[in-house]
Amino acid sequence: MTPATKVKSPFTPEQEKVLEGWTKAYPYSNMGLVEALRSVQDWNRMISPEAAARVGEIFDLPFNRVWGVVNFFPTFTTKPTGKFRVGLCHGLSCFLKGSNKMESCLEKTLGVKKKEVTPDGKFSWEPMECLGACEQAPALQVNDRLQGAATEATIAKLKELK
Amino acid sequence: MTKILTKHFDEPKLHELETYKRLDGYKGLAKALTMSQADVTAEVLKSNLRGLGGAGFPTGAKWGTVPPADKVPGPRYVVVNADESEPGCYKDRVLLTRAPHQLIEGLLIASHAIGAKESFIFIRGEYQNQYDIVAKALKEADDAGLTKTCSIKLMRGAGAYISGLDTALLETMEGKKAWPRQPPPFPTVAGLMAKPTVVNNVETLSMLPFILREGGEAFAKIGSPKNGGTVVFSVSGHVEKEGIYEVPMGSKLRDVLELAGGVRKGHKLKAVIPGGTSMPPLLEKDLDLTLDFDAIRAAGTFLGAGGMIVLDETADAVEVAHNIERFLTHESCGQCTPCREGSFWSEEILERILDGKGTPEDLPNLTRMGENITGKVICALGDTVGVIARTWQQKFPEDFKKRIPHGQAS
Repeated sequence: MTPATKVKSPFTPEQEKVLEGWTKAYPYSNMGLVEALRSVQDWNRMISPEAAARVGEIFDLPFNRVWGVVNFFPTFTTKPTGKFRVGLCHGLSCFLKGSNKMESCLEKTLGVKKKEVTPDGKFSWEPMECLGACEQAPALQVNDRLQGAATEATIAKLKELK
Repeated sequence: MTKILTKHFDEPKLHELETYKRLDGYKGLAKALTMSQADVTAEVLKSNLRGLGGAGFPTGAKWGTVPPADKVPGPRYVVVNADESEPGCYKDRVLLTRAPHQLIEGLLIASHAIGAKESFIFIRGEYQNQYDIVAKALKEADDAGLTKTCSIKLMRGAGAYISGLDTALLETMEGKKAWPRQPPPFPTVAGLMAKPTVVNNVETLSMLPFILREGGEAFAKIGSPKNGGTVVFSVSGHVEKEGIYEVPMGSKLRDVLELAGGVRKGHKLKAVIPGGTSMPPLLEKDLDLTLDFDAIRAAGTFLGAGGMIVLDETADAVEVAHNIERFLTHESCGQCTPCREGSFWSEEILERILDGKGTPEDLPNLTRMGENITGKVICALGDTVGVIARTWQQKFPEDFKKRIPHGQAS
């Protein structure tokens, strides 16, 4: 049952269905909120206040409640990220294995500073906290998938992503 | 050497149901389902299995605090904590990748023990590859009717380290900011949506099939007194062979280092962090320490989740302390003032010292501040902020002194 819309939905009908699905995925509807916001982040590469407000309506939660969650978790951004959001771990093991150098390499190869998006919208990169791949330090991630160790070669290969 | 979790890791298809079943898979669950809930819990208590997510609490004892169904009717849940985010730890990632059915079997055993009909695997968002593998294994289990005693649902986190703390994990699952709760009540009494909930780590649950198959006593025999079974160390940093190494509880630190090929060639050991960056470091003189929860505690640090980071002489204690405080500042949930403000100040002071602008007051200030944080906050993250502010300058005063012209470590 879609609640009456006060906010013009920024989502397509299919996306609305997915979000509503998250209200029914777990025993209590609020439990689907983080997954629903993950979907929004995936589609739009960020979460706008309008999107958060519509999610609030679907979950029958106040805007501020949803906005608080959006701003708390690092996965959710209120500014755009690239289609390929590249993460480079700068946790201790990765720092010991030269993550600083790989940050410079990423900046040079992708042509943008950390958290900036390339003009074509394809890439953004940022340092991240421990990705759980310490034996492949310094760990590289693209859109929540571990890619192995960051080297000049593996970073250069990122540009081949479609 | 006895291996429990990684025993069949040379079998490339271990993650597939058919292979897992061939290698004694789901026999532990079958045994558990013929036992009463109380008997399963008693077996786990006998095994001396301790929580392997960081706290080392006896698993059987935790289960024992779940109120019985006749006292507290209604649903109860088991939640798998697969939110591994402690820097230096990746053993859960490997266990999820290589042996998802071992975890599923353990989860079903735990669910039977506490009478849960619904359970959840909360997996960190950054483990998307592992999520896919577990989802596939789960489908195999569902199709084979293995989850008829308890349904299992997956849920992903959204990048916060603090979501790995049990009460904060539950908050995240309830669709809120991951703000830790202050027990009591503990999750086993009022957890997910205020229902009795057992939150257990991936590695902890993965031990259950063996315990049910071979018996709690056999498990206890493998380890050291009060610390049953084995433990999987994630070794990284300045070693020759980074990787996971499963050893019996009570093994020597020296032995684990040797398995990992020792400090990288041409370098000298400076420090070893035993359990993840939240834990104080050990030094060369501590190499004969036995690795179990109690012995390590007595040596002034913690086994934690076994994230063993090795540092050689090229590591600088100020840079290390700064790296860890930066992490803690970023991950602080913000609800407790000493942690929220203190982590920020610690990072700032250490950054100034790194920039060559340290003053003589900096080190005593870090110490004094640390003492005002640890023990005065809701959760262990805050405690750690205070510990890190003190421990690295205590153990490596020269690294700090050389950056502060007239400073003194205190």
